[in-house]
Amino acid sequence: MTVATDPVAVAPAKSRFRLSWPWILLGIAGILVVMSLLRIVTGVDDLDSSGTIRATLIAAVPIGLAGLGGLWSERAGVVNIGLEGMMMLGTFGAGYFGYFYGPWQGVVGAILLGAAGGLLHAVATVYFGVDHIVSGVAINIIAAGAVQYLAGMAFTGVPGGGQTQSPPIDRLPSITISGLSEPLGEIERENWFVVSDAAAVLRALVTNMSVLTIIALALFVATWWLLWRTAFGLRLRSVGESPAAAESLGVNVYRYKFIAVITSGGLAGLAGGFLALVAANAFRDGQTGGRGYIGLAAMIFGNWRPGGLFAGSMLFGYTDTLRLRGGGETVHALLLLVAVFLVLLALWQWRQHGRRSALIAAVLGVVVAGIYMVSDQVPNELATMTPYLTTLLVLAVFSQNLRMPAADGKIYRKGSAG
Amino acid sequence: MSSTTTAGTAPVGSGDVVVRLRGIGKTFPGVIANHDIDIEVRRGTIHAIVGENGAGKSTLMKILYGVQKPDSGTIEIDGEQVSFSSPSDAIAHGVGMVFQHFMLADNLTVLENVVLGAERLHGIGDAAREEIRRLSATYGLDIDPDDLVADLGVGARQRIEILKVLYRGARIIILDEPTAVLVPQEVEEMFDNLRGLKAEGLAVIFISHKLDEVLSVADTVTVVRRGTTVATLPGDSVTSRQLAELMVGSELPSPSTEASTVTDVEVLEVADLCLPDPAGGRPLLSDVSFAIHRGEILGIAGVEGNGQAELVESIMGMRPAATGRIELNDGDIAGWSTRRRREAGIGYIPEDRHRQGLLLDAPLWENRILGHQTRRPNVKGPFIDRAGARADTERIVEAYDVRTPGIDTLARALSGGNQQKLIVGREMSGEPSLLIAAHPTRGVDVGAQAAIWDHIKQARREGLAVLLISADLDELIGLSDTIKVLLRGRIVGTFDPARVTPQQLGSAMTGATEEETQS
Repeated sequence: MTVATDPVAVAPAKSRFRLSWPWILLGIAGILVVMSLLRIVTGVDDLDSSGTIRATLIAAVPIGLAGLGGLWSERAGVVNIGLEGMMMLGTFGAGYFGYFYGPWQGVVGAILLGAAGGLLHAVATVYFGVDHIVSGVAINIIAAGAVQYLAGMAFTGVPGGGQTQSPPIDRLPSITISGLSEPLGEIERENWFVVSDAAAVLRALVTNMSVLTIIALALFVATWWLLWRTAFGLRLRSVGESPAAAESLGVNVYRYKFIAVITSGGLAGLAGGFLALVAANAFRDGQTGGRGYIGLAAMIFGNWRPGGLFAGSMLFGYTDTLRLRGGGETVHALLLLVAVFLVLLALWQWRQHGRRSALIAAVLGVVVAGIYMVSDQVPNELATMTPYLTTLLVLAVFSQNLRMPAADGKIYRKGSAG
Repeated sequence: MSSTTTAGTAPVGSGDVVVRLRGIGKTFPGVIANHDIDIEVRRGTIHAIVGENGAGKSTLMKILYGVQKPDSGTIEIDGEQVSFSSPSDAIAHGVGMVFQHFMLADNLTVLENVVLGAERLHGIGDAAREEIRRLSATYGLDIDPDDLVADLGVGARQRIEILKVLYRGARIIILDEPTAVLVPQEVEEMFDNLRGLKAEGLAVIFISHKLDEVLSVADTVTVVRRGTTVATLPGDSVTSRQLAELMVGSELPSPSTEASTVTDVEVLEVADLCLPDPAGGRPLLSDVSFAIHRGEILGIAGVEGNGQAELVESIMGMRPAATGRIELNDGDIAGWSTRRRREAGIGYIPEDRHRQGLLLDAPLWENRILGHQTRRPNVKGPFIDRAGARADTERIVEAYDVRTPGIDTLARALSGGNQQKLIVGREMSGEPSLLIAAHPTRGVDVGAQAAIWDHIKQARREGLAVLLISADLDELIGLSDTIKVLLRGRIVGTFDPARVTPQQLGSAMTGATEEETQS
């Protein structure tokens, strides 16, 4: 019973950390300094070259968009493990409409097919009360089969296409500000501490930036504004926190859940569309490669908030990029950072939670540092695992401090209020 | 005017009638929840509606708040006849409701909880924040709009609920059992808030079955029994005994008719039972000691949340952290598992039959096996004995008058009373020597209530020791041979039910008078 709770003792609530602009800028500066130090200590320049950063952005956008889909859905209380399937539908939608009608039509097609997957999930979970995980997994399986079947129908016999892939699609426009790009490149090549690294980041942002990437970044801001600054968003979040309370105040719970899950599908579809239209330039079967799940992990890492999700998807995008670019050598350099991070974590844990978890972190930190010392390259097979290992590691460390929407994953029946 | 079967004088209200209910009736399949309800509520008054659990108070208020539609009768608000099809309609007419279970989202701020669904009034930003501060100051609610609800205590949450209703411009506020979750000091604070609302000219409808609280705050009291209003009385000229009699009618079991069957054979002895709070607060139980003899019913009284549930769960072995001595039939059972305790002869009617007593989606005969899964007639060797269990379920259905189409019916399909009768029948089989009954008649209809009382009396005559926990003081007084009062995890008084009044118990329960009477 909560009766014993003394209101006076509880009242002075601990001040909750709010992400404000100074903090964000400080964080970015901190990351730059750390990366710059790491680059100089290890001598691996590719750690934060503008190429790596551009590739990171391209790898991060699909993860981030999928995570954004998850965020919409879970904020309204529906767990959406079907993101992966909705992404697959999106890749096909982009491939089909992109090839036959044009790249912008491809974007629309990706969103619409993803949203159709979302609609299916919404009908199953909200209307029929199917378990969210069961419905989501079913959508993943159905989508995989449907996409194979549809691709076979659409692209067999088309020049350049086949059973499992579409012909190349026209590129979406991309933006380069050459007046900035060139001089920034010069600075980057000088290898100055921090300055060159900042230049690399800026150069990545003004060189060959796809319009769809800009749209994706705008969607993060739009989501934050819609969900946290409008009455619509308050209602949508209340449905995920306490649907009974929302209904008792006249909120149509089913309607908001439907809107959220369909939007979620649309965003996941757009994530798939980005893979087919920007990351590659054609639809291929199996193009999603589990990014829907990683998007879900990034969302959890981000504590169901857009800012955190953005950081999470950048992290996963970065590790994914390292895997694809330098491979063993860059990942090896990263080990040093992980070791330092683990030791810092151990110190922090010692103060916050107690000795056992601190000890585990410290031992792990020493082990990683040892591996860094005795080897000079991570085997490529292991480097391939980096994004997934990062997912596990990050979630294991951060999950203690996370709080999901209170009614997330619970089935709600209309009329349960009162 | 109210149709009163007993005494009924017109209350001298301080204002116009703002709510008039006439001839309200509501039937659910198999149950008449309300019939011929007549109530008038006046502006600037606190109007209490009292009645037992299951008397139909909550249904009535849901009708007034538009959650349910009445089958017959009319509702008038400010003299205008209205028909509500949803809570939004009720809100639009100035009727607001504070539910028994708080309708708050923990992870949202007070501001967000309050403006939800009413964003059009003042937006969701600074204008709304200002309005909440103003209301909070006007009615002395002491609420900060930017607190997170998760950080607030029960009393503050209730004030948020009241604020939510005020924010929507309600002039008629319904409170459904608002004191059930509060500790005594918080109850007093809430009553002060209610008096503040009254002074501002609002009408407050206050539902309760705790008579002392009702009498301390209400201007007018309407008694509901078996779904209908039986009397409307002014709050200052009625005693809680009168109200209790009106509430239960002739159903009140009379202790004097039952000869004592108490023997001197101890069945259960509990000594120095302590249970620390896992969250680190004050202990949930401290130094609880008592004994129950063959043929004795020991009643435990207390405001909900003062350790009753923890006491029962400690005796059942569901609280491993409990320390102290628990002896059943002279054998120490302190270290035993729950199953072993049950096998040793403890029958247990749990407090929440949906959470602990039944598998709602299993048929009755499978529910019969629960808790008796190691004993005949349910098992033969390592296997379930279907035939035996089914035959014995038929016996229980017959003997305990469980109204069901058959033993393959799902437990969910039964009414609360019939579910409870099945549990009582199950727990009485297997020859228990001790029966623990936690709120055995909570939320069951009056017929089932009488039947369950009869079964408990029957058990006593057959020489069982019974530990009875109840929030219904009349039930405790009617059934028990001894009553002990639990307050903040301690036994603070022992009473003889033949001589104690509900008021005396009530004041012991709230700690108003400690250790006053010894039997």
